[in-house]
Amino acid sequence: MSEKITRRAVVTAASVAALGLAGGAALRGARIKDDFLKASEQLTLRAQRLVLGRRTLAREFSARDVSPVFPVNGTHVPPGAAYQELVASGFRDWALKVEGLVRHPLSLSLAQLALLESRTQTTMHCCDEGWNAVATWTGVPLARVLALAEPLTRAAYVVFHCLDRREDGKLYYESIDLFDANHPQTILAYRMNGRSLPVGNGAPLRLRVETQIGYKNAKYIDRIELVDRLDGLGNGRGGWWEDFDGAVWYAAQ
Amino acid sequence: MDPLRHDGAEVVLRHRVPVRLWHWISVLAIVGLLFTGFCILNVHPRLYWGEVGNAYTPALLALESSEPGGPRPTTHPAPAVLRFGNRQYDVTGRLGVVADAGGDGLYFLIANTPESWQFGAMRAWHFAIAWILVLGWIGYAIYLIASGEFRSRLLPQVSQLRPRAIANDVIKHLKLHRASGEEAKSYNLLQKLSYLVVIFVLLPLMILTGLTMSNAVTARFPELYSMFGGRESARTIHFLCAFALVLFAVIHLVQLFVAGFVNEMRSMITGRFAIRGSRIP
Repeated sequence: MSEKITRRAVVTAASVAALGLAGGAALRGARIKDDFLKASEQLTLRAQRLVLGRRTLAREFSARDVSPVFPVNGTHVPPGAAYQELVASGFRDWALKVEGLVRHPLSLSLAQLALLESRTQTTMHCCDEGWNAVATWTGVPLARVLALAEPLTRAAYVVFHCLDRREDGKLYYESIDLFDANHPQTILAYRMNGRSLPVGNGAPLRLRVETQIGYKNAKYIDRIELVDRLDGLGNGRGGWWEDFDGAVWYAAQ
Repeated sequence: MDPLRHDGAEVVLRHRVPVRLWHWISVLAIVGLLFTGFCILNVHPRLYWGEVGNAYTPALLALESSEPGGPRPTTHPAPAVLRFGNRQYDVTGRLGVVADAGGDGLYFLIANTPESWQFGAMRAWHFAIAWILVLGWIGYAIYLIASGEFRSRLLPQVSQLRPRAIANDVIKHLKLHRASGEEAKSYNLLQKLSYLVVIFVLLPLMILTGLTMSNAVTARFPELYSMFGGRESARTIHFLCAFALVLFAVIHLVQLFVAGFVNEMRSMITGRFAIRGSRIP
């Protein structure tokens, strides 16, 4: 008999506690949801960095694996006359700015970027929607550009500000941390499949970060900014899809 | 297990705390993963085999717009076909809607979902919940082996594997027979096999094919690609396993009613399970 009472008391107490927790959770729902998702993302990042090591290369393919058609997704052509003028002039007046927490701010034209060492890689682009396609990319390793600019010790993230304005009027941007920025396959690509980077694929310059998913590979890059934290940009989540659509920032998943 | 008096019937401790905890955590996680997983499949309802797959490559299974000249958001219902290899079925009005994503163009979806269910957020939830399933599975697998329950409760006994016993078990299932007495105290053969398949085949396959879709993971373990025949094959197997889990859940629920809903539910909540047809004087 006494056992039954104890049992009932325990169950009742547990129910009351659960109801209280649920009520509290409903009040602080948004906060808890964000914390939970953020914690999971951090867990993924830490676990992957721990297990995967620093210098593992994403798989590379041979020239015959290149997809005959590479789907264009997201922005097809950045809106506005300014971009059209850049295209018309072959991006002669465009220059990549590198600024923020760097010792030497840079401004590099396409010709200057092409003079730096280059890397050519045939890799698989994996869209978060579930499809993929293979292409050959040529560009300058981001690590090389960063070495020229010399990030300050405070710098932790590399932000890519892009030329394409989205339908909500905001400019596309993305960011990665210095770990992925210094990965040997992380390049600023200006050629695709042996030709100048097409407009649909991000001319004049796009990021290839082969360990992460499609939307991290920012197209139409105009300016690179080194920062110590991401919460001062946009809605503070580190990228347009992250701000607008709740997408994960660490997208190696 | 101590027999306890319960309304005259023998009551046994059916499931220990770790089993019950794992069961309900996994139920919640799998429901969450199926829901978010469906939302992920929804934006690209095409499954491929091999390494590469996109709108310009052939699909094994695809839900496609059959509108001449491409999908249009103004035609209701959206003309749609379900393509399965060379066969195709008209599913207009039953499956398929067109969503206008503004600057991102048109999407042909399986079903319309509210805009507030952000696609990126669905993916974020999927990964977060996947951690719960993975960590739960690891804990449960360790418990099963360490407690000896793997051998004593899940592995079929030699006597269960005799042809006659197998035939008997199949017939009992077909007759929707409710176990009583001694036979109710342990899992039957088909029950053991289905649990073994779910715990040691389906769930590990789900986890591994999921990891195969991470470029960072495959950079370190490219073997995953060869194991599943490519990234798109891994994605297809991921969805096939999800379908198999749904199938298991349906049968599991049917069996719950066959075996006695209240008694079975109680055994998974409080652990106590009454043995039918037994009387303690």
